[in-house]
Amino acid sequence: METEPDEYHDCFMQDGVLLKQAPSSHMTALNTIGTLYIYEVTRSGESCNKKLLLEWKQNDITVDSDVQYQEWAVVNTVQKRIRTLSENMPEHHNRSKSLKINFDEIKSFKVCNKNRQLTFYDGTSERICGFLFQHGNCEHLVGMLKTILKVGVSRRDKQIYVVYDSNSPEFQELNRSFAALNLKNEDNSFWHMFKHFKENPYEGSLGAFAKVTNFVYRSVEGSDPDILSRDELYSSITELDDGVPHSGGEYEVINALPQLPRRKEFPRCNPLTEEQWRSQFNSLGQLEDVDSIKNLIFRGGVSPTIRKEVWKFLLDYFPWDSTDLDRQQLINKKNEEYYVMKLQWKSISQKQEDNFSDYAQRKCQVIKDVNRTDRTLEFYAGDNNINIQTLGDILMTYVMYNFDLGYVQGMSDLLSPILWLMQDENDSFWCFVGFMEKVMSNFDIDQAGMKEQLTQLRVLLSFIDPVLANYLEKHDCGNMFFCFRWLLVWFKRELNQDDILRFWEVLWTGYPCHNFHLLVSVAILEHESEALMENDNGFTEILKYINELSGKLNMELMLNKAEGIYNQIKEADHLTDSVRSILGLPLIGTKNRGSEEQSSQQESPFESPDLSTPRTEPCCSVDNVRISPDEIAFEKSISSSFL
Amino acid sequence: MRSTTKNTLLKVVILGDGGVGKSCLMNRFVSNQFDEHSFHTIGVEFLNKDIEIDGETYTLQIWDTAGQERFKTLRTPFYRGSDICILTYAVDDKTSFKNLDMWRKEFANYADVKENNQVPFIVVGNKSDVPTEEREVSPLEMETWCNDNGITSCIETSAKSASNVQEAFKMAVQHWLKLESRADKSETVINDTVDLSKKQTENRTSCCIGSSDDK
Repeated sequence: METEPDEYHDCFMQDGVLLKQAPSSHMTALNTIGTLYIYEVTRSGESCNKKLLLEWKQNDITVDSDVQYQEWAVVNTVQKRIRTLSENMPEHHNRSKSLKINFDEIKSFKVCNKNRQLTFYDGTSERICGFLFQHGNCEHLVGMLKTILKVGVSRRDKQIYVVYDSNSPEFQELNRSFAALNLKNEDNSFWHMFKHFKENPYEGSLGAFAKVTNFVYRSVEGSDPDILSRDELYSSITELDDGVPHSGGEYEVINALPQLPRRKEFPRCNPLTEEQWRSQFNSLGQLEDVDSIKNLIFRGGVSPTIRKEVWKFLLDYFPWDSTDLDRQQLINKKNEEYYVMKLQWKSISQKQEDNFSDYAQRKCQVIKDVNRTDRTLEFYAGDNNINIQTLGDILMTYVMYNFDLGYVQGMSDLLSPILWLMQDENDSFWCFVGFMEKVMSNFDIDQAGMKEQLTQLRVLLSFIDPVLANYLEKHDCGNMFFCFRWLLVWFKRELNQDDILRFWEVLWTGYPCHNFHLLVSVAILEHESEALMENDNGFTEILKYINELSGKLNMELMLNKAEGIYNQIKEADHLTDSVRSILGLPLIGTKNRGSEEQSSQQESPFESPDLSTPRTEPCCSVDNVRISPDEIAFEKSISSSFL
Repeated sequence: MRSTTKNTLLKVVILGDGGVGKSCLMNRFVSNQFDEHSFHTIGVEFLNKDIEIDGETYTLQIWDTAGQERFKTLRTPFYRGSDICILTYAVDDKTSFKNLDMWRKEFANYADVKENNQVPFIVVGNKSDVPTEEREVSPLEMETWCNDNGITSCIETSAKSASNVQEAFKMAVQHWLKLESRADKSETVINDTVDLSKKQTENRTSCCIGSSDDK
């Protein structure tokens, strides 16, 4: 028998892809990094038998390049000395694994976590597998999938794409239109086109994909497909190459630096006064103009006399539209709820605790850390301090409230100022819950949320200060790790108590955009850029410099600068979608002119009309999604209406 | 031969459970200060300090990281290129002692140290100032664990009372020197194809010091 090898033809490749969910056969590969490929297999001897496959391949793990932690692995500060036997490399190679996915199996997929997470479902409410994209996002792949599979966006959940059955009338029709386009059969030009996309920044490619989609839709609508030739289609894609600023996945590619608009000054204002606050309540005790209140708070913070009350709104303990009566009832309800949860752990006996190591570990860490939190403040000072005890009680109750998250270092820092202000256990707990909702992803088990933010910080910095961004990249600081503490606890360790109260209340408004704290970080880095780049500083010097900024930052100045930066970004001609998505601005790169409604559904999974609540979807939320076959049928029926 | 005019820079990583006193050891050693209520470490910090041993000056670059398991992926990249790893526990915290094994493995796994017997560990039992009734780990237990794990240097310290802190870091450097000279030797004999399967039968000169039985 002739055994000509199968022919493989790569159509797509993306590296830095973390396997988040997998069949039990691939459990060991979970949370490891690999590369996703789409390739075309031509079975030997049968030139017409082509098949597309999606495959994830684990990166080789070698001792010399610890790929799993590549993005952090920059810290080789001391020249390594060569010792003996260094040539004896352990046999770590070839541990790679691969996971192949047949396109037939995919019945739907979900895109979430700011387009960085993609999960495939097989239609029987089971996940096939899920991936986290550590470099850039999955927009590229989704664009690819949209052309391979016939998909539509679920109307119930904008993040879900439903795959149409090949027997359905919609599919048949689409298929005919594809055939009419006559793309696939000619010497792989279709795939060359995709290769071409691959080399482009994704904004450009997505724009191009939108054109393809547009083209297909128009064909379905009955226009003559012959009018638009393939060349025309191709040229419509290539023209996007020029003039579109490139963000090569991770970095802006800088040829001639594009000019940012002039930076404006945004002087800080006076804090929201008690009169201003009181005048906003109507007779039922409802706030009349929430937006202007938030705006005032963003501009100047809150006067200390009303801070205790305002924070309960800012931290989503009190709904903004609640009445006096609502709040009174809420307090009673939440009070009871709190003490029930507190009793749950207070009543655990020593014996139970000994037999419940997950609980005991959390408790042990809480006790250790509350004793090391803000002890220099009078409120928390001294031996057997009752407030330290309360701090611990609230954190332990939070452990019962969210046992899976438990207690993570940094949380006591977030709670401390709240308790200091509220001086009430129940109120502090619920305010803390609200704060945690905003920063939940900072405490992901795999630190994905922190890594994402550091990546976003890098993207923003390259937009605002490409010289510094380039310098950091060239000096092994591209991972921005030295900003870790800033972001984990929102500058708690960098600012004094007065400043942190002001700073946090400003950020909690969610104004003027998502991730404003990242713009504050950019402002500081830009402000310090000369010092950071002097003497050919490397990672250790920069880490040391940044750590030593603690206590020296001018918070009001940084807020002022950050707002100036925000306005520069917003008005910049070369603003990219990667920057827009970080700040929660509407994306435009992929706008589908033919179907406005659809494009907004597809491309803005982050859009949130209410800017007051920054998106804080925890990574694990995808675990809760189960799609039943019924639901898929339902999705199909409603989605087909726009095809 | 090392030049006497040039400092040798050694990267030292302090590892151990949260709250055993890693930062306190570092601060006591570097600035001779102790703050009972200092913050727990977030992220990574480091300090430099010169130490003189036998007329030679070494600059220790001491890295201190957050101890909680959650931050493992952020911590481990800093292990690479380390010359010395100080495994730390608190003598009044049995769990932290039991976890030494986990820390030893974590370091060995990520530090990119090629040969097992050359992993430059020393073990430090901190908080030796605690009253006897609060003590959960004895110096003997420490020595036994070290012997079982092929670690030849261990010491009890108190960052609070400053007991043995300088000594611990000095021991760390001496330990490194010993490994280094052994490495130099085997580098020369390796050309004569030494039998590596042969068990090393050196007499382990224990330099364990317990603060409770100061010599």
